[in-house]
Amino acid sequence: MLGSVFAKSLRDQRQSLGWWSLGLVLLTASIIAFFPSIRDNADIEELMKAYPEGLMALFGASDLENITSAAGFLNVELFGFMVPLLFIVFAVGLGSGAIAGEEGRATMEILLAEPVGRGRVVLEKSGAMIVATVVLGIVLWVAMVVGAVAVDMDIGPVRFAEAVLTVTLLGLTFGGLALAIGCITGNRGLALGVSSTAAVSTFVANALGEIADFIDPAKWVSPFYYYNDANVLANGLNPAHAAVLAAAAAVLVGIGYRAFQRRDLRL
Amino acid sequence: MKRALDSLIDRNAVDGYAVRQPGGVGRIGQEGKQTAMAADTAIRFEGLTKFYGQQRGVEDLDLEVKAGEVFGYLGPNGAGKTTTIRMLLDLIRPTRGTATILGMDAWKDSIEVRRRVGYVPGEPALYPNLRGEELLRYLASVRGGVDWGRIVVLTERLESDLTRRIDTLSRGNRQKLAIIRALMHEPEVLILDEPTSGLDPLMQEVFEQLIREASAAGSTVFLSSHILPDVEQVCDRVAIIRSGRLVAVEEIAVLKSRAFRSLELQFAGPVPPEAFAGLEGVSNVVVADGVLNCDVSGALDQLVKAAARYTVVNLTTTEPSLEEIFLAHYGDHEDDGAG
Repeated sequence: MLGSVFAKSLRDQRQSLGWWSLGLVLLTASIIAFFPSIRDNADIEELMKAYPEGLMALFGASDLENITSAAGFLNVELFGFMVPLLFIVFAVGLGSGAIAGEEGRATMEILLAEPVGRGRVVLEKSGAMIVATVVLGIVLWVAMVVGAVAVDMDIGPVRFAEAVLTVTLLGLTFGGLALAIGCITGNRGLALGVSSTAAVSTFVANALGEIADFIDPAKWVSPFYYYNDANVLANGLNPAHAAVLAAAAAVLVGIGYRAFQRRDLRL
Repeated sequence: MKRALDSLIDRNAVDGYAVRQPGGVGRIGQEGKQTAMAADTAIRFEGLTKFYGQQRGVEDLDLEVKAGEVFGYLGPNGAGKTTTIRMLLDLIRPTRGTATILGMDAWKDSIEVRRRVGYVPGEPALYPNLRGEELLRYLASVRGGVDWGRIVVLTERLESDLTRRIDTLSRGNRQKLAIIRALMHEPEVLILDEPTSGLDPLMQEVFEQLIREASAAGSTVFLSSHILPDVEQVCDRVAIIRSGRLVAVEEIAVLKSRAFRSLELQFAGPVPPEAFAGLEGVSNVVVADGVLNCDVSGALDQLVKAAARYTVVNLTTTEPSLEEIFLAHYGDHEDDGAG
């Protein structure tokens, strides 16, 4: 577990990853357990229709889909807000800690006294961030698949995999942003703050774009638009949207890769 | 006590540091090592300058350290020693000028430079949640090609405990890990930033012995300190840096030859200060209660002849520390620039 920068970075995450996985499983299980009481309940459907469109948009039920269907229920309760929030917080924590965190604790000085390039350190730590987030995604996928079987949801493992993939990519986009800012500045607090602000503002911009036409063009720069505007659980993966998120994450890591090689270490 | 310690060190000396070439003892073996290099220069600064914004870190450093040399880099805290050393490791980049190590640019060829350099940082921040052994295994893996047997030998000699978590270790014990780390791959150049801080005197002796062995095996040692007696024992030459500028580069022997001696003569009765004050090479004359204190540079002849006119009860002489020599020669050249 200490054979490389990549392996050590993953090792440093194992405890945190364990707790996050537990929390995610508990959340998923408790929400899914609630589904049978909602399913095919016409009263609730009527109730939902009474809510203003804007409010529903903020809760992720963008197209007023039927909350009594499995896909509509999971979008409102999990994939609209809670699950993307958790994946973003998790990945941003890893991304901001990757370079800026190690610099803040001043251990970067001894690591970089070994004959390892800075670019390689960025790539290995990015790799660890990606793997840890994907592992969390796999945990979510297993929980969803098992939960769906338990309450007899009409969504299969492949469709769940597609939804989990998009939320993982969304998390990694913001994780990549945090990593890049950490690489540029060496300041973990700044990386956390900017990434969180970016997540909140692009989320709101995308949600409000549904109801306010003048904001609508802004959704094109919002990762949340590419995350679930196409409603992956109902319609399947939108490869173009997923590619945009993956490319954004890759570009951000690339920016970090270059930036970290060009500056003085913060010591 | 001292003698027992020396014999202990000698007994361990051979297995501690593999000699890289036959006959590699003292200064003799060093030529064989740098065959490919135009000059036998291990470290060279040319106009090396670092500014932090407007604030000067170091400015226009020009320096050559010969291969196989043990070189002291001296100066008060904040003089720019750590700034210089961090540029050698490519942790920070020069504002202008170059640093060359083993013929390679410290920036462009940094990875290869670091492959051949061992480094002890001034304030070693080690991963606090790892045990000593885990830390060394990690850094050895990242480096590659490290013989674990070498780490075991160093651990025994420095009496380091690798089983404890780093956050439970004292400053000195963390320093030992940093030293083991720097020596584990038998580097050709050792760059040490205040390496003995926190070490007890016994371990300082062991450390100095390790430095001598590294030098005997042909390694170059660049050693910074703000405590002059620290480097006196091991260094061939020293550079003195102050407020970011080099103020002197001297052989230790030359520095010492410039030495003055402090003498104390005790007489049977009162003596007049005038009898000694005007003598050639004699300064700082103080007489009180029949005791004369003064500093003498050069021969003692005149002072002894003057003293012989009175009844001398006792005579003691003190060799100056480098610190005293330094202050006497360079104390007036203080540059009050930034830094």
